[in-house]
Formats: sequence, structure tokens, C-alpha cells
Amino acid sequence: MREAKLMPACGFAKRTLRLRSRCVKAVLLAAGALHAAGPAHAARTPAGTVINNSATATYDLPGGGQSIVTSNMVSLTVDELLDVGVAWTDGGDVATTPGATNQALTFRVTNAGNGGEAFRLTARDNAGGDDFDPAATSIVLDANGNGIYDPGLDTVYVAGANEPVLTPEQSVTVFVLATIPAGAGDAQRGRIDLVAVAATGSGAPGTSFAGQGQGGGDAVVGATGADAEDDGYYRVAAGSVAFVKSATVLDPFGGTTNVPGAIITYRLVATVAGSRSLANLRVADAIPAGTTYRPGTLTLEGGALSDAADADAGEFTGAGIAVRLGTVAGGSARTITFQVAID
Amino acid sequence: MRFLLTLLAVTLPGAALAQSQVALTSDVLVERTTTDASGTARTSLEAPGIVTPGDKLVFVLSYRNNAAAPATDFVVTNPIPESVGYMGSDSAGAVLSVDGGRTWGQLAALSVRNADGTSRPATLADVTHVRWRMAQPIPAGGRGELRFRGVVK
Repeated sequence: MREAKLMPACGFAKRTLRLRSRCVKAVLLAAGALHAAGPAHAARTPAGTVINNSATATYDLPGGGQSIVTSNMVSLTVDELLDVGVAWTDGGDVATTPGATNQALTFRVTNAGNGGEAFRLTARDNAGGDDFDPAATSIVLDANGNGIYDPGLDTVYVAGANEPVLTPEQSVTVFVLATIPAGAGDAQRGRIDLVAVAATGSGAPGTSFAGQGQGGGDAVVGATGADAEDDGYYRVAAGSVAFVKSATVLDPFGGTTNVPGAIITYRLVATVAGSRSLANLRVADAIPAGTTYRPGTLTLEGGALSDAADADAGEFTGAGIAVRLGTVAGGSARTITFQVAID
Repeated sequence: MRFLLTLLAVTLPGAALAQSQVALTSDVLVERTTTDASGTARTSLEAPGIVTPGDKLVFVLSYRNNAAAPATDFVVTNPIPESVGYMGSDSAGAVLSVDGGRTWGQLAALSVRNADGTSRPATLADVTHVRWRMAQPIPAGGRGELRFRGVVK
């Protein structure tokens, strides 16, 4: 790889001013060519770049005047370094539900080397460190580059067929789709690792693949081993609602006997369990046979609700009560009360 | 440019005449660190077969005064190749330029002008040239070596 070129030894052959100035010009031109050969501000020198080094010396001649000496030029070729980075980019556990399919985790694969390279992708769904194993069903390349999984628009990755080819520093967003087992419990986590490996080769840093680098040089495994992975997580967010209904009887005599005219106060407590909010939660309860709804007794969280079907959250429908609780966060409860009189 | 150099080489058979003047040789070595089975790290300097980004390079400039007279005000200048980051000099007396060789000094005394007209202190990454100016003439037959370090960007 090393070439030594003897530069013309300017200056000390004939010390005329004219020749010296031509030599200086030649040296400057050489320096200009070096600048043109290199990248402007690339983070890593591209594979195939030639690094040329040459020094000059000047000194005064005994008889007056100055001499310029240019050294030989040493040329080094920069070979391809194989490096890759993988990062899980969801920013946090992806919420899912038991039995859900095509649940996407988002990763970014970056060519951290200095040459164009294809990367093989694998999703590993049986790594430890989690509560359940999601079943990875496919790897999808973000074909339109919007960072969001678009079913039907993005390209399904097929090993050996469409490995993403990345220029140095270039990244691609990759989605791993998985099915969540039906038995996964609330708040449990499932892990999938995305593995990216340089197609040219991987292994211990320093491993060399002769002649396989970009531009015909060698390809050398860099610090990442040309094999990187990151782990992403799903988190099951299951929600369930439990109703507890209780009744308090007050008879006309101040007792608690179920006699005609006795008033029954029903208390309904809806408790949302799990880590997931329930949206549009509605509660309906029929008025028991043999009783009559007592107008104006419907309450939610202690506040009165009108009997009419209007802007507030509840009403008496004629056959029962209905209350719209809206979105109820996991772990919280709502209490509804109403009264009936025994006929 | 190649044509011009060829022309000069024909016009000036310098190699032969260099025997009676000062010769300057440039060499580049790469510093490789290997760790043996016992975990001991060994660093060696090798002639680079290949280099990759991150490789540490040692530039060796050798000079010898082949003339009968001393060479006075002897100055050696090495432009830092574009793909190399200057990492420091092993030889005393190095002065640096961060502006393509227009101004020279110690790194701490140099600054780089930002696009907005302000300036900031220069860093090793800004170095474009390294230079040594010998205080004493190189006597006839005298020789020496200058070393500086770089890293493949």
C-alpha cells in the first residue's frame, strides 16, 4: 500500500531565481491537490482515500539565497472500516395488549464505517431480561423515511434480497413487528433485539477481509465488530373494570326492613384495574322490579346529576340510570349513587 | 500537475545532485497495540500495510546535510494531510499553523475565525501545518530526525 515517490529535488540543482520560483509553484500545486483529494469535514475518512505526506525544508545557502528541499511523498490508502450502530428509538416501552399482532418496535441502523455497506438484519425475540417473549413476525424497512410504520407502504425486509445499503454515516429506520402472546399479563414487558451485521463480514476488531473493501482495498472490522444490536421493549397495558354494587335500606320506621315505602340507596363503584386507561366507560343499571326510581337522587362522585338526558354525565332513562364516565385511568374508581322506593 | 512535475524532473536531475546538498526523507509509521493472551498490551510501530480511520500515525522526517557547508536557518515544514488529525510533536520546537501556513505559533496562541466574525481558540483539529526552525545551523554531514503524530480521521 505504501508508495514512495521521489519528488523533483527543486532548488539545489540550479539556483537561479527563475527555477526556484517554478519549484515553489510545483510544491504549492501538490499541496492543493492533497486538499482536493480529501473530504471537507467528513467525520471519517472515506474508504479508498489516499493520504499523501511530504515535507519541505528551506535553508540559507552559504553564498546567499535560499534552497528548498522537498521530501519524498509517502502515500497511504485508507481502507474500509466495517462498523455499525443500532439504537432502539421508541423512547420508552411500546404499549400493547395481549394477543395483539403487528406491534411495531422502532430501531435505527447506522453505517458507522467509512464505506458503503449492506447490513443483514435479524430480530431476536427470545432474549432474556423480560416477562414474556413476543413472537417477531417480520422486519420492515421505513421505505418512505417518515420514521413511522406504514403498513403496505414500507418494505418488508427479506434476508439476502433487500439488505439496506448505507453510505457512511447514513441511517435507516427499521421496524420489528411482533405478535404479543395472549397470556401476557398486565404491565409485563417483552423484549426484542434487533441485530445488524455488515454483509462484508464481522468479527473481532481488526479482522481483515482482503480485497473486499470499497474501492478494492481491504475491509477491516472496526471497534463495533461490525455487529451491533439494541433491545426494545413492549409493555402490556391491559385494563379491566370491576363493579361493586351495594344497597342500604331505610324503612319508614327508621329501620332497615324491606317493606313497602322503604328507600333503597344503591351505590355502584366502578374500579378500573391495570395500567391502561379505559375510554368511554359507561355504566347502566336497571331499576329493580317492584321499586320506583326516586327523582333527583342520581349522583356521581357525590355530585348531583339531573334526571334529564342533557349535558351532564347521567340521566334516568325511565327503566334505569345511565352514567357516562368518560376516560378513567387505570387504578382509579368512580362512585355512582341513586335511590329507589319499594312499591 | 503531473506533467509539470515530470518536466521538472527531466529538467533537474535532482536525485544525483541531492548527494551534495541536504536530503529530506518522509516516512510514516502506524502505531499498533496488540494484547497478548496474558492481557499485556504491546505497542509497536509498523510500516502501514493498511490504515483505517482511528489509526495512530507517526510521521518521521529525516534530514542530512550532504553539503560541505553548514545549512543555516534550516526550516522543515510539513503540511498536515487533509485526512489526518494532528496529535502533537515528539520533537521540541514545533510551531503550528491553523490557517494554511500564513501565521505560526504555539497552539495556545492561535485562534480560528468563525463564520460569524468571532474567533475561538484553536484546537489540535485545526492544525494545518507543523514547522521546526533550527536555532543552530546543520553542520556539514549533520543529520537529525523530527517526529510528529497524527490520527487517520
